[in-house]
Order: sequence, then structure tokens, then C-alpha cells
Amino acid sequence: MPRNPVVRRRVLFTALIVVSLLLLTAFFREPATGVLHTVQQGGFGALSPLQSLASRAVQPFEDGWRWVGQAVQANDQNQGMRMQLEELRGQLVTLREASQENERLKGLLDMRQADIFPQGATFVVARVIGRSATKWQSWVQIDKGSADGIVLNQPVVGATIPVSGSLSGKGLVGKVIAVAAHAAQIQLVIDPGSSVAAVVQGPRAEGIVEGTVAGGLLMDYVERDKLVEEKLVVVTSGFGQIFPKGIPIGLVQTIGEVDVNIFKQIVVLPFVDFSSLEEVMVLTSPVQFGVGVEAMDSVVPLDPGVTAP
Amino acid sequence: MTALAPRLLSVLKLGLIIVAAVAIQAALISRLRILGVTADVFLILVVLVGVSRGAVTGMLFGFVAGLTADIVFLDPIGLRTLVYLATGFAVGRYVEEFGLSSAWVIVLVTAVVSLGSQVIYGLFQFATGPEGELFAMMRSQMLPAAVLDGLVAAPLYLGLVRLRVLPAPGASEPSFR
Repeated sequence: MPRNPVVRRRVLFTALIVVSLLLLTAFFREPATGVLHTVQQGGFGALSPLQSLASRAVQPFEDGWRWVGQAVQANDQNQGMRMQLEELRGQLVTLREASQENERLKGLLDMRQADIFPQGATFVVARVIGRSATKWQSWVQIDKGSADGIVLNQPVVGATIPVSGSLSGKGLVGKVIAVAAHAAQIQLVIDPGSSVAAVVQGPRAEGIVEGTVAGGLLMDYVERDKLVEEKLVVVTSGFGQIFPKGIPIGLVQTIGEVDVNIFKQIVVLPFVDFSSLEEVMVLTSPVQFGVGVEAMDSVVPLDPGVTAP
Repeated sequence: MTALAPRLLSVLKLGLIIVAAVAIQAALISRLRILGVTADVFLILVVLVGVSRGAVTGMLFGFVAGLTADIVFLDPIGLRTLVYLATGFAVGRYVEEFGLSSAWVIVLVTAVVSLGSQVIYGLFQFATGPEGELFAMMRSQMLPAAVLDGLVAAPLYLGLVRLRVLPAPGASEPSFR
């Protein structure tokens, strides 16, 4: 080591930069069972009990904080909420009438109707115990894992109290992307790496609903000749082998068309209010729509930017 | 032996800071959204250590804190490590060159560093991950987060100085130099 402090400092800085870059390179090059991923699995697993404990301890304060925030906004939102409620009621009635003619449309807005899921579907109810630290990723951690029958790629649905921006509060949440024995990581549909095959009810316009880094939903690859209108319901199409057909995702908010683009881009307002998500339901069976059946005794960590197969 | 004791004590203190940061970030801060964003305790601590203990300690602390954050928060291992060690070094060098004229400098430096590190992080995500909306994120996330980090830095610094975890301005504390 050089005796000159300035030279020593520069050498140390350069060395640490090189080590960091090597770590970064090794992390992306090694398989999910590699040393760095294994170390990360250990950290993830070790933190789960702490987050679970903290979740319970902090819950009353969170509830209080949320109550204060909602109370402050309540007056302004009241009128808008009433209008939204009326719209929702109208849509609900319309959908119920349509469901008599078309089984597929039946009850898409009501998650409590079990027939929107495949026959024999079972659920595991889990509490949200952690959230992604940055907005670049949108995921939540739940307190159920492989010991409860959860495996990779299982669809997750949820219900939240309707607040501003969320019309029904019930709909698709995301899918399982990492599993430990008693914890799992759920990639939300608003994650920039998420993509869900979806269809707009009515015109049956198909496309891919993708998350954005701003926390919204964008439906892309919709053919321009399909007549899509605002307020139409967007549901999963069942393509892609992960999400069963017919799970409500959100409402068409705005439709964008650019002359040079052969597809429409549709901004979708999600039904679920992801910021207040407290409990979710993981669809643990059946396996026909692509849910993995292999035992997951160890954690499979998330590679950022890469959607789990 | 006697010269080694304060140095070991100093390392122990910094180690405890990282352990506490993991617990606080995971258990409390990540659940508390202000201005729609959450504070980055690790980054703030790296700035504070760089400010109070200089470039070498700052970058070493940044390296360890970044590595820890990468591991426990499922980030690509090496990413935060790189950003935080550069942050610790840059902040330490700044204070060594220009001094700490006012406590407001800490707020300002933290906010600037927070914004810079988020831009780097965002560019990395943009390069390796899905299509990002950098400019939209700049307005809706990065700037509020930078403001929040700056505001959190001041009371955190005062608290750590009062607890004697970090040296008071002007006090001589052992450094790794």
C-alpha cells in the first residue's frame, strides 16, 4: 500500500469501484443458483421476520395516518366519489345484464363471484408485510410462502377500500416472482417489468397491459381498427399461460393514437389501489394456466428488469 | 493497542449504524410515504458519514452500506455499492476541500446527491430493464425524494451527533486515513 495518503486514497477508491463493477457483472452473469444470488436469498429470508413483526407494530400508525389523510381529502373527494359510485353502479348493472347472455362477461367487476376463476380454484390469503423501496420496481412482500403452497408465477388478486382513483377496488394485483418458505414476493401489474395479456370488453380489443415507472398501467399493441371507448372494462385475456381469463384489471381512461404507430396505446385506470394494498389472495390452483408445480424450497430472487418466466 | 481501540470503536459504531439502517429502512421508512416517496436512509447515512469523517471513511462506509442494501433489498448486487461508494467519496472530498460552513450545507448536499444517485439508478434501470419514463420520474419521484432526503438528513445528523455516533462539527475523530 502506498505511503502517500492521496495516492493510497485513489488506489483504494479505484479498487472499490473495480470490485463493485465485478460484483455487478458477476451478479448478472451467474445463474439464479449462484453465490451472489444465494447470499441475497439469505438476506431476503433473514429480513422477512423483521418486516412481518414491524408490519404488525406499525399497522395502527399506518391506519391512523391513512385516516387523517383520507379525512383531509374527504370533502373534496365526496362529490367525485358519488359520481364515480353512480358510474360504477351503472356499469355493474350493465355487466350483470350482459352476464345473462354471455357467461364470459359475468361478474367481471365483482371479485367475490368465484366463477371468474377456473373451476376448482383455491386461494391463499396473505398479508402484505413489505414493499419495494424504490419506485423503479413495484412489488410487495407477503407473509405466505412455499410452505403454504405458493409457487412461482401464481396469479394474485386483491381488494382494497375504494379511494380516489380506484373505482371498485377489486382486481388483478400481479404474480408471484420469488418464494421463500414463509414469504413471497409479488410483482405488481404496475411494475415496469410486468406485462399481462388483456382484452377490452365490448370491442374485444386485445393487447398487452404493461406497468410504467410512474406507477400506472398502459395497454399497448391494440389494433387501431378496434373501437375502444373510455370507461370500458379491461380484463385478462387468458393468453400467456399465467393469468386466468377474465380477471378485472381496470377501466380504459384515455386512448392514444399516433399516426406513425400501427397500434393504439390505452391508459388503464387500475381497479386496485396499490398504495393501500394490505391483503391479497394468491390463486394456488389449478395449474392449467401455467403455474409451476415444482417444489420451491428456496428463494428465487428477482433479477431487476427481468420478468420471471 | 491504545491507538487501535478508538479505531475499533469507530468501526463498531459505523457497523451498528448499518444494522440499524437495515431495520429502520425495512420496518419503518419503506412504509412511510411523504410527498409520495420514501426516504433512502442508507444514502443519507453515507452522506453524513462522508461529511463528518472524510472521503476514505465515507467511501468505505458507502461500499459496505451499498453492499448491504443490495443484498437485503434484492437490488442487483454491486449497483448501490457503486453509487454509494462514489457518493461517500465525493461528499468527503467536497467537505475536505471546502469545509462545512453551515448545517444547511448538509441538507443541500444530501438533496443534490440523492437526485444524482437516483438519476444514475434510473439510467441503469433504463439501460438494463424495461422502458422507463425518466423525465416523468424526475418530476414525480426524483425531485420529491431528493427534497425528502435532504430534510431527513438534518435531524438525523443532529441525532447521531448527540448520540456521539458521529463527531460534532470540528471535533477530531479517528478516521481510516
